[in-house]
Amino acid sequence: MSDWTEKYRPRSLSAIRGNNKARDQFREWAESWDDHGDAIIVYGSPGVGKTSAAHALANDMGWETVELNASDQRTASVIERFAGRAAMNATLGGSSKGESGRQLIVLDEADNIHGNYDRGGARAITKLVKEAGQPMVLIANEFYEMSRGLRNACESIEFRDVSARSIVPVLRDICRQEGIEYQSEALQRIADANSGDLRGAVNDLQAAAEGRDEITEESVATSDRDRSVGIFEFLDQVLKEESAQQALYTSYDVDETPDDLTKWVEDNMLDVYEGEEIARAYEFLANADRWLGRVRASQDYSYWRYAGDNLAAGVAAARDGTKGGWTRYGRPQFWRSKDKTGDEVARRVAESSGVSMSIARRRIVPYLSVMTHHCKPRDLTVAMAAYYEFEEKHVAHVTGSGESTNKVQSIVEDAGELRGEAMEAHSGGAFAGTPSGGSDGDAEAAGGSDSADGVESTDDPDGTDSAAEAAEVDDSASESAADGGDADEADSDDGQSGLTDFF
Amino acid sequence: MFQAIVSASTLRDALDSVSVLVDECKIRLNEDELAIRAVDPANVGMVDLTLDAAAFESYEADGGVIGVNLSRLEDIAGMANTGDLVHLELDEETRKLHIQIEGLSYTLALIDPDSIRQEPDIPDLDLPATIVVEGTHLDRGIKAADMVSDHIGLRVDEADETFHIEAEGDTDDVDLELGRDDLIDLSAGPADSLFSLDYLKDMNKAIPSDAEVTVELGEEFPVKLHYEFGEGMGHVTYMLAPRIQSD
Repeated sequence: MSDWTEKYRPRSLSAIRGNNKARDQFREWAESWDDHGDAIIVYGSPGVGKTSAAHALANDMGWETVELNASDQRTASVIERFAGRAAMNATLGGSSKGESGRQLIVLDEADNIHGNYDRGGARAITKLVKEAGQPMVLIANEFYEMSRGLRNACESIEFRDVSARSIVPVLRDICRQEGIEYQSEALQRIADANSGDLRGAVNDLQAAAEGRDEITEESVATSDRDRSVGIFEFLDQVLKEESAQQALYTSYDVDETPDDLTKWVEDNMLDVYEGEEIARAYEFLANADRWLGRVRASQDYSYWRYAGDNLAAGVAAARDGTKGGWTRYGRPQFWRSKDKTGDEVARRVAESSGVSMSIARRRIVPYLSVMTHHCKPRDLTVAMAAYYEFEEKHVAHVTGSGESTNKVQSIVEDAGELRGEAMEAHSGGAFAGTPSGGSDGDAEAAGGSDSADGVESTDDPDGTDSAAEAAEVDDSASESAADGGDADEADSDDGQSGLTDFF
Repeated sequence: MFQAIVSASTLRDALDSVSVLVDECKIRLNEDELAIRAVDPANVGMVDLTLDAAAFESYEADGGVIGVNLSRLEDIAGMANTGDLVHLELDEETRKLHIQIEGLSYTLALIDPDSIRQEPDIPDLDLPATIVVEGTHLDRGIKAADMVSDHIGLRVDEADETFHIEAEGDTDDVDLELGRDDLIDLSAGPADSLFSLDYLKDMNKAIPSDAEVTVELGEEFPVKLHYEFGEGMGHVTYMLAPRIQSD
């Protein structure tokens, strides 16, 4: 038996059920395409007839179609090869008759362009949409899953869920054409079970009718179709409406890991909960987090269930009664540290001080920041930049001054010089004879020690605890620098003589 | 019933000319010839190929249709040396094609012909200009155009009786002018159309450089390219829809 969703697919737009307004808009777009030449995005839940509408439209307009869907790989080159070629050329059939040679390019599941598998695909589509010489329809489930550039370049039409009232007549029609007896209640039940999904309803009808010539209420499968729950719906249930048990059941249907769910709930809970509720909810979130920590440490993902219990049932139980109203839920803000410069600063500090990056980040960098706030005092900042080999952006990061300012740039330049001098001073004359002249060695060594003085002299401005500790840090820093220098000297002493020794 | 013996080079030439447009195609096994007609997925380019029974060492068929995966078949044909003979035999029971090359036997699973894209009906075109040109000249024009642009203009100058292959890039232009002396034949008419270079490049790959290519051209109409291979017993016609003129 052939697939009924295929067999009864509407051949003309006028046969599309539900969504009359969207349908008319769609037709108007096609009829006025010669004037505007824009692509269109058709979006809505699965099974409401988006793809059918696109093909029916092409049929009505007498256009041929080229379809590219998610079963094809959709990298930039594939899209250019198929859709791109179709979009830039007339069709053979049309142009041979001397007509326009129009064809409709249907890009199904345009919101599912996979980042890696379909490398470059999303960008290629955006480019194509702007250049296309043929009408293009992009079909998507989630309008906002597509990039903003793409959305702005296209018109858009939403196909809403098809109401059970519109689904029943379709099912009745099919039954008549197939010569199947039916009870109205049975069809009603199929329609209700497939809330909004016309294709699902037709599939269920076919399944129920398989091998029978009558559909009764009993023959309709009683189980509901699995449906994934969106994160916003889930948050509403946990934070506002449902019992702890129901919230937990809902959490099973959400397509997010407990890690992410915890973040979502935590970030949005404060917008809804008040007073005591907050304290109780945090208790549960803390528990959830602890379990997530155990998952991470033990790699035993069965602990996820306890995190889930806490973040869904626990947080829902922390609520007094139910809440109403609408809340603008936000995406959690702390997905990952993107502070590359901060990481780099910590790494350089950690390397030269012989401590871990987290110590550098928490125990050293903050003090450096206070001591060299806005690059004052300047000589200290120069010394710091020289010692840790900071570049402009690092100095800017630590001091809070702008990266492109003259101040920061001159500090980095001076620091470079200082480093060069220190290197010569500690080289024991190994570089003597170079243009800069080893004869100045003494003077430069003095300069080097000056900078060390500079470091120490900075305790004075801030006489606080932090300064004291900072001084310690810097002391050890300058000591280690000195050590380094000694070591260098020792190195150059043993075995290898300097050239100057012979002059 | 289908049984044939053909030289590997003839088979390869035939397959190459089709595989530049499609990955799968239907092969019609007519009594006096083997025929392939296919349209590319974007509905822009078409190939129409016939290989006379005389091009085969031996040929027996009764008008069946088979669907093949071209890249597979090309790979197999690639296993043969130029002078080798390829034996083809269709097993009606299992719907498989048995291929034998010098002791190597390969059984190729066929594709249901109904699942392969249907070719549209193309009305007979009466194109005003006909140019007969050597494959090398066409190749030269296409290579030059490819340097500056992604589309190519084919034009006949009626007054001067010249054929132009030209391309306009963002900054650079090229124009290959072929006069009567360069062309094998020319019957001038109003003809000026723009085409995608992507397609012409691919088609050009399949055209032997020593072939005589007959170009039929109109104004904003598809172009037809005819050429022969396999000692004149294989005929290929390409048809390519024009590019949409952007303003």
